[in-house]
Amino acid sequence: MSEHRRIAVLGGVYANAEALAAVLADARRHDAEAVFCLGDLGGFGPHPDRVFPLLRDHHVRVVRGNYDEAVAVGAADCNCGYTDPRDNHYARVSYTYTVAHTSAANRAWLATLPGQRRIRLGAHRVLMCHGSPRRINEFLWESTTPDGLLRRLLTDHETDVLLCTHTGIKWRRVLDGGAAHAVNVGVVGRPENDGTPRVWYALLTAEPDLDVQFVPVAYDHEVTARAIEIEGLPPEFAETLRTGWWTTCLENLPSRERARGRF
Amino acid sequence: MSAVRHHDVAAPRAPFVALSALWLVLTGTLCNLRCTHCLNASGPDEPWLAPLDGAAARRAIADAERLGVREIYLTGGEPFLHREIVPLLERCLATAATTVLTNGTVMTDALADALATLARASRYSLEVRVSLDAPDAEANDRVRGAGTWQRAVRTIRVLDARGLLPIVTATDIVGAPDTYDRFRALLTGLGIAKPRVKILPVFPVGRAMAASDSRLSDADLEGFDRTTLQCAETRAVAADGVYACPILAGLPEARLSNGDLAAALRPAPLYHAACVTCHRTGATCRNA
Repeated sequence: MSEHRRIAVLGGVYANAEALAAVLADARRHDAEAVFCLGDLGGFGPHPDRVFPLLRDHHVRVVRGNYDEAVAVGAADCNCGYTDPRDNHYARVSYTYTVAHTSAANRAWLATLPGQRRIRLGAHRVLMCHGSPRRINEFLWESTTPDGLLRRLLTDHETDVLLCTHTGIKWRRVLDGGAAHAVNVGVVGRPENDGTPRVWYALLTAEPDLDVQFVPVAYDHEVTARAIEIEGLPPEFAETLRTGWWTTCLENLPSRERARGRF
Repeated sequence: MSAVRHHDVAAPRAPFVALSALWLVLTGTLCNLRCTHCLNASGPDEPWLAPLDGAAARRAIADAERLGVREIYLTGGEPFLHREIVPLLERCLATAATTVLTNGTVMTDALADALATLARASRYSLEVRVSLDAPDAEANDRVRGAGTWQRAVRTIRVLDARGLLPIVTATDIVGAPDTYDRFRALLTGLGIAKPRVKILPVFPVGRAMAASDSRLSDADLEGFDRTTLQCAETRAVAADGVYACPILAGLPEARLSNGDLAAALRPAPLYHAACVTCHRTGATCRNA
């Protein structure tokens, strides 16, 4: 198990190479000793193969997401679990494009990714996963993840700090006077439905108490948005990058998170 | 207290994975409506499944909290007929995200104000699911009763005006491919900026019970991940026991304990024709 004092953790790249490059540069400026990615490398964005060299060149340690799991084996769908036919339409377009534009070598690499990673950050045991430690596509939203569930997950999985992504919106919970922590690190592939195009990652430092900072990163989102249009992907995906408001895949948002968005 | 009946030993089982969803069958089968497809044959007559008293509901919530429950659902019958609905909702929302399933015909402005206050005070989401079975009044009222469409639509407006973002839940009585879009169009036509729609299949149970011999077998489930069935992560607490899911609440063969939630966290028999619907459609009674 590797040991660190300061790490950067990011989620949901969604084939947004421009955002990923900006986040990796920012993490380096913040003296992160290691960078971890909690999965979902493809989806929504253009040219999925462009994110793989960035991850390798920066020695990013990646956890497998549900999208990666599906793309690796060419599954029938992304296993996002939508029932809304509009969300399913967008998910199908995005997934079909991603599978078709991910090389066989990169798909084979996705198949090798671990479902979880454990590290030590100072004295803290840290467990990293995609959705939740018990299910790769479980949505841990801030407003639907009670303290009792977090305590159960932390105990069952023998960790002090739980890191996840999958929802697209960051949050953090401190439990039991700082003895335990849960952090959803958000995603870097699209904004978090807050009306700005910036994306977020998390910087965790053992001080020795755990310090968690969410770091906003601006990047040239217009480049990605134009590439989405050129590739013939839905214009709604480009609109989200430009405006910061989610336009699709809203079905799973609980009321509290949905109320904050425009749509 | 009656004993748990033994079910058909040949029925396949769903494993128990975790208590993600706790359902409280709050008013049993007591309802002001008598919908033609109601899956537990609720109505205004003497309920065949009694309401859950407040103390029993609070015990179940506390037990579920200890077990790491993720979300709580309140159903019936019509849960807003329960005399303790507001304090029970407050208790639920102190524990987890909570959803109330309502027919939308008994909502008052004062009750909607109380719900909005509860939602603002909680760190967890409050969801209200309002049932409609057709986007037009005539078709809906044929199933749910005269005047129900108008009252439910008023409730949708009243909740939306308070920022509660109701989820319109429809049973797919027609089975048309554009059902979802028609409901969405209804909501946007009402001026709802964030339309939310959930479609459920008709379950062959309760008043919609079909004369069907269809049952699941282990052979049907070969290669199928049984942990994706909602009964792998759900338990429903009713006045007379704990059940594998809300659809089968009150049916003796689905009872897993006489009231002890922890004792009901064990594999559930997939013995009912409704289990075939869950398996075939991938349906969940949960919000998503």
